[in-house]
Amino acid sequence: MTLDHIRNWLRARVAFYVERAPEEIDPDVKFVEVGLDSVFAMSLSGDIEDEFGLVVEPTVAWDHPTVNALADYLHAEAA
Amino acid sequence: MAEPVLPSVLTVERCLELDAREEFPGEICRALTDLGAERHYLPGVPAERLLALIRSLAGRDFTVALAHCKTYLGSVATWVGGTPEQVAALSARVSGGAVVSLALTERDHGSDVLAGEVTATPVPGGYRLDGEKWLINNATRADVVCVLARTGDSGDARGFSLFLVDKDTLPAHAYRCLPKVATHGVRGADISGIAFTGAVVPPEAMVGEPGTGLEVLLKGLQLTRTLCGGMSLGMGEHALRIVLDFAERHHMYGRPLADLPLTTRALADSYVDLLVAEAVTVVSTRSIHSLTGEQSLVSAVVKYYVPTLIDRTLQRLAKVLGARALLTDGPFQKIWRDHAIVGVFDGNTWVNLGTLVNQFPALVRGYRRGRVDAAGLAAATGLKQPLPPLDPARLSLAARDGCSLVQSLAGDPDAPLELRERADRLHEAMAGWRPRGREVPPELFGLAREYARLYAAAACVRLWADNALDDVWLRACLARVFDRPDAATDHLLDLTRRGRAFSFLRGVDHDA
Repeated sequence: MTLDHIRNWLRARVAFYVERAPEEIDPDVKFVEVGLDSVFAMSLSGDIEDEFGLVVEPTVAWDHPTVNALADYLHAEAA
Repeated sequence: MAEPVLPSVLTVERCLELDAREEFPGEICRALTDLGAERHYLPGVPAERLLALIRSLAGRDFTVALAHCKTYLGSVATWVGGTPEQVAALSARVSGGAVVSLALTERDHGSDVLAGEVTATPVPGGYRLDGEKWLINNATRADVVCVLARTGDSGDARGFSLFLVDKDTLPAHAYRCLPKVATHGVRGADISGIAFTGAVVPPEAMVGEPGTGLEVLLKGLQLTRTLCGGMSLGMGEHALRIVLDFAERHHMYGRPLADLPLTTRALADSYVDLLVAEAVTVVSTRSIHSLTGEQSLVSAVVKYYVPTLIDRTLQRLAKVLGARALLTDGPFQKIWRDHAIVGVFDGNTWVNLGTLVNQFPALVRGYRRGRVDAAGLAAATGLKQPLPPLDPARLSLAARDGCSLVQSLAGDPDAPLELRERADRLHEAMAGWRPRGREVPPELFGLAREYARLYAAAACVRLWADNALDDVWLRACLARVFDRPDAATDHLLDLTRRGRAFSFLRGVDHDA
């Protein structure tokens, strides 16, 4: 699983939730500033488990609050 | 389970007088502390025991319940997220009778806690608190206040931390308690506020790690929101006793009011509402211990469903009393006014329904995969089953595998077919909505309400099956959950009028 793959998937997922195109999501801007509600962001942990089989805390998007930060974290976890 | 002992000064009449004068029930609260009621608020106490206290107090007077039990709300964040030293220190204060309050909301932000403007800035010797918390129960009376303050960026879920502020250690100019506000219900309660101006607290005042304030707070609220069911139960039972007594004694058209068909129906429906509320509250309180990781969901169901149900029950009972419901010398009007606050504080109805909506994807996934923690569920619904102590580390902000109780319906031979089909249809409808990260469509709140009803029905089915309850109890409860008339309802009321207790579950031999 490459970092690029994780990053693209995550960007698409966030874009889906905030109803925008993936390319409109700046991977270095915080989720909350992109328009993702911080309570709703906890459901990303379920998506991550489904997609990558990785069990992460519901607060993972609070601790790694951008596409790039979270992708880096997941890539390290999956390694 | 043994009923908690209440002090003799705690009488309905005395509390009505205090309420009329908007006077705080200080003597009664001191008497409760003399009896050791505050020991219920310490870590390690089974949740059912605390529930029994809250239910008994609310059944006598809600102002007193709110005033005394607030110390648990003020302490719970420390029990959940504090260091062992912080837990030990606060336990000693609570055991010594200290009043602890939680200061969460602010004048301009209400439920939008991420917009909070009270700040905690690192300074030599600790943190400096500045800003105002408002509409805080016991803000003025409290010895210790647990304050949510911003330590990072506004709007950042990791930008807030909790601080245990011991008022005695602050210089007089560092804080100011705001005047008590005049309220519709609980008129004697100390609903006030506190404003900090350069109040420096030591580093060890921070509960747990920096940035964990919101997480710890939300975990603590999972416990208190569940226990709020006991407030509604106590008040609902008190109200039904008053109205039933009146309807038996008061004659109209040559017979007791209670025998008029419309009144009988209103009383019977109210009685079964209480049985349903009891079923939901008891299962959910037990699940704190045995299904701990699901409590984000369970607490939201209870905190939405039970107060909303009992609000409706009180409305119906008021019609039986007629004009007397509005007379200020009787206790009913106080209960009616007091209960209105339960659906508002500690996370209001919309916050709780929103919590359910946010978890729809996990709920649909869990239901389709038939995920059930069978041992945890059996302990929650089998009233004679032993419960493990609560492990706060197992609390989670999201129920990863959904809700065992509702998900157990799919493969449950005890569940009526109609209920299983209803569960299938509801989860289809939940799955049909595109999840959105902002601006939840109002229709989803309707599905969340339907989910709470399904949870209530499932709680009744499992309690009935696991504790050999009467068939008539289950039939009546399910009919009430789904708003259908059923002859079983009237039959249960007949039993009550002949002296049977309002509670069915109190008759079951509990382990605790």
